[in-house]
Amino acid sequence: MGKSKVYIASAGLTKVGDHWSKSILDLSVEAARGAIKGAPKVKPEHIFVGNMFSAVGSSQEHLGAMVASALGLAGTPAFKVESACSSGGSAVNLATSLIRSGAIESALVVGVEKMRDLEPEETSKALAMAESADYTQFVGATFAALNGLLARYYMEHLGVSRDELSSIPVLDHKNAVTAEHAQFRKAISPEVVSRSSMVADPLRLFDCAPVGDGAAAVLLTGERRAAGSKRRMAEVLASRVATAEFSVYERKDMLEFGATKSAFGKAMSDAGLSPKKVSLAEVHDAFSVVGALSLEAMGFSKRGMGARDAKEGKYDQGSSMPINTFGGLKARGHPVGATGVYQVVEAFMQLTGQAGLNQVEGVEYAVTQNVGGVDTTSAIQVLGRAS
Amino acid sequence: MAIEYWRNRDRYYRLIGSRCQNCGDEFFPPVYRCRGCGSEKIVDKEMPKSGKIVTYTRLHEPLPGFEAQAPFYLAVVELKNGARVLSQVVDSPDESVKTGARVKATVRRMKVDGESGQIIYGYKFVVDR
Repeated sequence: MGKSKVYIASAGLTKVGDHWSKSILDLSVEAARGAIKGAPKVKPEHIFVGNMFSAVGSSQEHLGAMVASALGLAGTPAFKVESACSSGGSAVNLATSLIRSGAIESALVVGVEKMRDLEPEETSKALAMAESADYTQFVGATFAALNGLLARYYMEHLGVSRDELSSIPVLDHKNAVTAEHAQFRKAISPEVVSRSSMVADPLRLFDCAPVGDGAAAVLLTGERRAAGSKRRMAEVLASRVATAEFSVYERKDMLEFGATKSAFGKAMSDAGLSPKKVSLAEVHDAFSVVGALSLEAMGFSKRGMGARDAKEGKYDQGSSMPINTFGGLKARGHPVGATGVYQVVEAFMQLTGQAGLNQVEGVEYAVTQNVGGVDTTSAIQVLGRAS
Repeated sequence: MAIEYWRNRDRYYRLIGSRCQNCGDEFFPPVYRCRGCGSEKIVDKEMPKSGKIVTYTRLHEPLPGFEAQAPFYLAVVELKNGARVLSQVVDSPDESVKTGARVKATVRRMKVDGESGQIIYGYKFVVDR
């Protein structure tokens, strides 16, 4: 472990959904200002912008300097961080690591994605860029197709049923009803999932996270600047990123999410925590099957039991370890490069008692898991109450 | 973007993958380093053209350029040498496309690329009946 403790001083976010009147910069600034207003004394020494496809989605690169300039922070070192859908979690990891090392004392992390300006097939093409151009895109496979292959393999090998898989999107939608920033605030039944249109057999529309615009931000600070105002802060106890064999079909065991398993194990060790101590998890369920395999990779569920446990209520609000407390990727939404930062903001809200109607009582430790590709990159953060 | 396909012509037309000279493991797509033993003694190797379906999906909303073919099957095919290929499965009755089905490689039209309308060819598999 490094020199300094790392704290989340404040957070900001936009609602996830259709922001036809707002640009990628408008969204970034809105979320960043929310964070900056929450801790005006913390001046960010670095800025990291997590984003996947601003070049394709908005004909815009160079987001770091652009966001810095718009915030009146020209002069600040600023970078875009990209690791597909885990861009946001990776950005938090880089900022956290620099602060922990003592190299800097504070950082602003923004996660942003502008997806809705694109036609649906253009969005598919942009998302597929997370996978190999030469051997995955070349055969016409979308990102959903890879997850469809995986879902069939999971169901056939481990005897998981359609209804069990559906319980993950059902859980997400239930939790989003009272979440003000969520994209879809409507409860659904398992039948809504199993009767929705087929995307990549056996995955249906309601197995898949939606397309939406959004931005989230956190202001991070080291020990020195946190002094005296920790009451409304959360501590980043550990942050780890790991990668796996690039394409899921190249892996010996397609059902093991090795990046998540590795990053989570190291993060728990860094934090000195047993997984049993985790009281809340924000899980990257971009597809229902990905949520199930993620829960298994972190050891919360046994192999083949992720979706079944969700169906039995193991992860509901009121259980000993609720997940996706504002709706997860399916219902809060999944503005890809922003998602990892949304998860951290949500964990921060829970730990500091700012979660409103979605407040989980007695949260001591929260984990966020943010995945790029089919668990090709995984970013894990472990948060606790500031002390 | 036609040039990227030209570069891969042997890989796409003849399924040229990789063989590890140290442990003999074979891979497609090609690798730079053996996934089994870690050796960097890797040479090009033509892959066997038959294998079986490990898992599959029927894709209803494909990438741009593939719309006319949708819905179509995509499968993870395990070749006779153990290499795993992601490929379309075509010209096969629906009921024959299933886990464990034996398949063989063919060369097919993948898509028409760019304003000049260049036809891109590559590998697809058919169920071997």
